[in-house]
Amino acid sequence: MVEMIEVRGVSKSFGSQQVLKDVDFQVKAGEIVGLLGPNGAGKTTVIRILNGVIKADAGTISIMGLSPTQSDDIRAISGIVTESAGLYHQMSGLENLEFFAELYGVEDNAQIKRLLELFELVDHQHKPVGTYSTGMKKRLALSKALLHNPKILFLDEPTNGLDPDGIKMVLSYLKTYNQQTGTTIILCSHVLHQLEPICDSFAFLENKTIVEQGSKQELEQKYLTEIVVSVSTDYVPQEKTFLGFRCEKFENGMTITLPSKEEISTILKELLKHHRVYSVEIANNDLESIYFKVREKINR
Amino acid sequence: MNKRMMKAIIKKDLRDIYRTKSLLTTIIIIPIIFSIVFPTILIGSALLFDLEKAMGADMQKMLDMFLNEIGTKQRIAETPEQQIVYLFINYILPSLFLLVPIITASVVAANSFVGEKERRTLESLLFSPVSIKTLFISKTVASFIPSFLVSVISFILCGLIINGLGYQLFQEIIFPSGNWIVLITCLSPMVTLMTVLLNLFISSRVKTYQEAQNISGIIILPVIGMIAGQASGLFLVGVEITLMISAAILLLNLILLQRITKLNDRHVLFEKQIH
Repeated sequence: MVEMIEVRGVSKSFGSQQVLKDVDFQVKAGEIVGLLGPNGAGKTTVIRILNGVIKADAGTISIMGLSPTQSDDIRAISGIVTESAGLYHQMSGLENLEFFAELYGVEDNAQIKRLLELFELVDHQHKPVGTYSTGMKKRLALSKALLHNPKILFLDEPTNGLDPDGIKMVLSYLKTYNQQTGTTIILCSHVLHQLEPICDSFAFLENKTIVEQGSKQELEQKYLTEIVVSVSTDYVPQEKTFLGFRCEKFENGMTITLPSKEEISTILKELLKHHRVYSVEIANNDLESIYFKVREKINR
Repeated sequence: MNKRMMKAIIKKDLRDIYRTKSLLTTIIIIPIIFSIVFPTILIGSALLFDLEKAMGADMQKMLDMFLNEIGTKQRIAETPEQQIVYLFINYILPSLFLLVPIITASVVAANSFVGEKERRTLESLLFSPVSIKTLFISKTVASFIPSFLVSVISFILCGLIINGLGYQLFQEIIFPSGNWIVLITCLSPMVTLMTVLLNLFISSRVKTYQEAQNISGIIILPVIGMIAGQASGLFLVGVEITLMISAAILLLNLILLQRITKLNDRHVLFEKQIH
C-alpha cells in the first residue's frame, strides 16, 4: 500500500507550552489507524495539523502529496468529526446536512437522504439539533463528515456519548465503509477495546510524540515477551508450575505464563492426555495490555 | 471565490438571525425606538406644549446658528416652534438615527462571527474547504444586508411619523430633506459597512461575543459627539459635511477591507478562536 499521509519531525507549541515534539507518523492508503494516547496527549492537535487549521512550528506534512496549510484541496477530500461535533443547534438535522453539502460541493441530492436513513435520523431530521441527544448529534456529525464521500476520514472520539447499540452500529459501519470504499480512516480514542477490532494499525502518542506505530501483530511481537494463557480445564494444578512454566489456579482452570505462543501446543498436548480442556485464551495480548506495555517501556 | 459556498453561508446566517430571538428582538426594538418613539415624542411635544418656553434661552444660540445655516435656503420653518422642530428633525434626529445601523450591524456581525466561535461551529467552517476570503466576504454580506434593510425600514417609518404628525405643524411634507437623503443613501450604508468590517476585524482577534461588543461600542462615540456638538450649538452637520464624513468612512472601509483580506491565514484564525 502507498503512504497516503506522511508526517516527519512535526513539533507544535502554544505559547510556552509544547504540545507536540518531533512527531513521525505514516498512514497507508485505505488503512484504519487508531491514534491512541491519554487525555491531553495531543491527539486532537495532530488531527488539526493534518487538516491545516493549525500550523506546525517545524517538520513536514504531506497528504496525497499536498501540504495542508497551502491547499484547501485537502479539506475538500477529508471528512472530520470533532469532539464538539460543530453542528448548528438552531438548525434542523436536515438543514445542517444541506448547508454542509453546499460547502463541500455535494452534487448527489440523494446522499443526504441515504445518510439520514443509514444513521437512523429520518424521524428526527426536521427537529432542531439543539434538541438532539448526544448520540444523535454524533450520528449527525458522522453523516456530515461522510456527505462528500471523503478519501480521508478523521474521527476524534467518534463514539463518545453513544449507547452500546450506537457504538456497535457506528464502528461496524466504519469498518464496512472502509472495506467498500477504501477510505483511509484516522480514529482517535482512549476506549481501546472499541478500536481493536476495526483498526489495521495503531499509533501511540505519549510524551508529546508518537512513540510507537504498527499493526497489532507487529506490536505483539515487539512488546509481548511472555504470553499469559487462560485455560479452562478440569485439571487442578497442585504446584505453582506446570511443565516448568509458571501457573496459577482459578475456578475451573488455570493461567500459565509462557515464553511464546509456540508453547501453547506443548501444554495442551500434555493436558489433553488425561484431562478435558474447555477453552484456551491468551489473556494479555489485547490492545489495552499492549498499550500499557508501550507506556511502561517509554516512561521507564 | 466560490459563489455556491457564499450563498450557503449568507442563507444560513440570515436564517440564524431570524431564529435567534434575542437578536431579532434587538433589530425590531431599535428601529421602533429611533424611528417611531423619538420623532413621535418630539413632534408630539411641539403640538402639545410651548416648546420655545420649555427649552429656555440656551436654545437661542442653536437656533441662531440654524437660521444662519438654512435661512437663505429654506423658508419652511418660520415660527420659533417650527424652527425648533425642523432643527431637531433634520439635524439632531439624523445623528440619533445613525445609531440604528450601528447597533444593528454591531449585534448582527458579532453574532455572525464570534457567535460561531462561542457555539463551536466556526471550527466546522474552518475544517471545510471554504477559503477564508469567501468566509469573510459571505459574513460581511450576511451582516450588511439585514442591517441596511433595518435602516431603510426605519427611514420609511421615520418618514411616515414625521410627515404624519409634522403636517399639522408645517402644513406640508417636510421629509425627506437633503440631510436625510444623503444620510440614507451615503452615510448609513457606509456606517453599516464600517461597523460590520470593524466587528469582523475585532472578532477575528477576540474570543468572546462580549469582548467584541465592548470594543465595537467605541464606534458609537463619534455619533455621541455629533449629537452633543449639534445640541450644544457648536456646529451643525448639513448635507456637505454628511457627504464628507461618508467619503472619509468610505476611505476607512477600504483600509479595513485591505487589512481584513490580509487575515487569510486559516491557522492564525483557528488558533486565535480556539486556543
